[in-house]
Amino acid sequence: MELTMVHLYPDSMSLYGEYANVLVLRRHLEAMGVEVTVRNFTCEDTLDFSDADFIYMGAGTEKRQKSVLIAAPYYAPALKAAAERGAVLLFTGNAMETLGTSVTDAEGKVWPGFALADFTTVETEKRDPGDVVATPALWDAPAVGFMNKCSVTRGITTPLFPSLLLGFGNEAEHGAEGYVSGNVFATHLTGPALVKNPDFLDLLLRRLFARKGWELPEVLPVLPHEREAYDVTLRELRARIK
Amino acid sequence: MRVFFAILVCKLLRFIGKLVGKGSSLPGKYALKICPDVLGRVKLPPCIIAVTGSNGKTSTVEMIAAILRAGGKTVVYNEEGSNQIEGVTTLILGSSTLGGKMRADVLLLESDERYARRSFQWFHPTHFVITNLYRDQLTRNGHPEWVYNAILPAIHPETTLVLNADDPLVSCFAENHEKVKWFGLDRCSISSAEHRGVYHDGARCPVCCGRMEYDWYHYEHIGQYHCADCGHHRHETDFAVTALDLEAGKLTLDGETEISLAFKSIYNVYNILAAWSVCALAGVDRGTMASVINNYILKNGRMVQFTLGHHHGTLLTSKHENSVAYDTNLGYIRNTKEPCEVLMIVDAISRKYFTGETSWLWDIDFDLLDCEQVKKIVLCGKYVNDLAMRFDYTRIPAERIACYDTVPQAAQALAEEAGDEALYVVTCFSDRDKLLDLVEKEAV
Repeated sequence: MELTMVHLYPDSMSLYGEYANVLVLRRHLEAMGVEVTVRNFTCEDTLDFSDADFIYMGAGTEKRQKSVLIAAPYYAPALKAAAERGAVLLFTGNAMETLGTSVTDAEGKVWPGFALADFTTVETEKRDPGDVVATPALWDAPAVGFMNKCSVTRGITTPLFPSLLLGFGNEAEHGAEGYVSGNVFATHLTGPALVKNPDFLDLLLRRLFARKGWELPEVLPVLPHEREAYDVTLRELRARIK
Repeated sequence: MRVFFAILVCKLLRFIGKLVGKGSSLPGKYALKICPDVLGRVKLPPCIIAVTGSNGKTSTVEMIAAILRAGGKTVVYNEEGSNQIEGVTTLILGSSTLGGKMRADVLLLESDERYARRSFQWFHPTHFVITNLYRDQLTRNGHPEWVYNAILPAIHPETTLVLNADDPLVSCFAENHEKVKWFGLDRCSISSAEHRGVYHDGARCPVCCGRMEYDWYHYEHIGQYHCADCGHHRHETDFAVTALDLEAGKLTLDGETEISLAFKSIYNVYNILAAWSVCALAGVDRGTMASVINNYILKNGRMVQFTLGHHHGTLLTSKHENSVAYDTNLGYIRNTKEPCEVLMIVDAISRKYFTGETSWLWDIDFDLLDCEQVKKIVLCGKYVNDLAMRFDYTRIPAERIACYDTVPQAAQALAEEAGDEALYVVTCFSDRDKLLDLVEKEAV
């Protein structure tokens, strides 16, 4: 069983431990007997999604996001084709914004995105980083994490999280957050979102196994400390909501 | 009249505050309500030095004050670390005559990097030292470029910027600014052609996002860099550490002044250099400066010695949510050659606000502890599972790691150990007293 992961712009789009999303997914896959290849692409490389089963991009600063958006229109058809082939995409933090049709920066300049989805983002001068507790659409346990955004995203009808108990959603406080369509997952959760949310990780594992046509084991691997860490964070954040 | 009244109220509240042991921002807050532009109306000293940056502000300011005082200057500075406008107002009015004249030769301010703009709305520093910009408390600060953009409007054209030449983002402050003095560390024994760290914020140019090239790194993204695309580069320095032997604890300033380090950390080197640079600009002679900073032991208590069972302990105060602070302390432990154990505590992530944010653990280069002398690593606190999971992704063998849910449990286990290895504790202000309350402290 072999699987290829593509990590887009790990040097540019690296705000806060995003690389750990690739690490933790890889380790779980390996625990399930999968041989994983990770391809890193920087701005100087020619992007190639032809054999990609999983494509990841993490958060960056506003400036770095623009530096990768320059190439988005050029690579949009290839990324779309990969998504249509069933590749699992995960775009976290402001990488999520690049999947839409455009990002308008704080100076009003409009940057076209990969246009996999029909949403648009406008950056604001206000930034309100903070903890997040989210209600997922596709799994039961609340998602936890951290958001570090200065933007509003409009036009999403299929959010990954229909509501937030804590945090700022796509358009509003406690509002719907993220985006999901088929195997394309996007959320403004910043940093190692998969490390913090074992259920989200398991969902991606299931989707990857389904894409490859592999038989899913009855029980997915649970690595040490993951569930305990999640439980503590959820407990602490819940106490804050009350 | 309003100025007089604002100063009076500030002084009174400050007096009462001191009696009851209350914080130092409230008097300034009321003074600003009485007279919002009071800071623009008080006659300030001819020399105003501000220090900002992610790490090293408090230590640098403390050393600057010590040097200036040794140089015969009267210095007023925010020793209590209240570095937002209210605290700054308390400080200034508290040191002023009722007629509105500050009684000091130098006003020295540790300035919060996000709120500098507000503080410097009514006056501006003659010298503005910017030490570094790192990933620091992203739950409040967003990210280093966001902080850069917050500091930028606080810079007055007449201010002399005193910048760390080795930090590519800090160097951007010099763009379109005439008065700039640079400090930096020359290539030395710690310089490396290879980048070390979990992430590399210097990989991309802060000006154009092009690929940056480094001739050498001192640590993290600090070093000799240039951008192949736009030419952004490290500037020639006006003040420099020209030789450094960190293991021996010796450095040379500007090619001629040798200094011994009481604390053999790269942080200490940069803090000393920043203090040296700005004090030289303020007119203190080299001999006086050298006599103060030679073997200078910081009074802000970031390093504490103690005894726990058979262990002789050293607490290295780090900062949660600041991976560079951690890496520096872990690097310090790596450079010691004696057998040791290391205790890491993550219990409350901040003492000032609540957050459950643990992403920063993934930015710390814990593999620095993958060395022969580190015999055991003890993890504890509320977020012990997050710590333990992070260590599962290092090269450090699992059998070398022990986990406890609470600080007392970890302390008890360490106290009961038969071995007498040195013990290093790396944690934050928010958590350090949870251990220090359980151990026997030693005088430094």
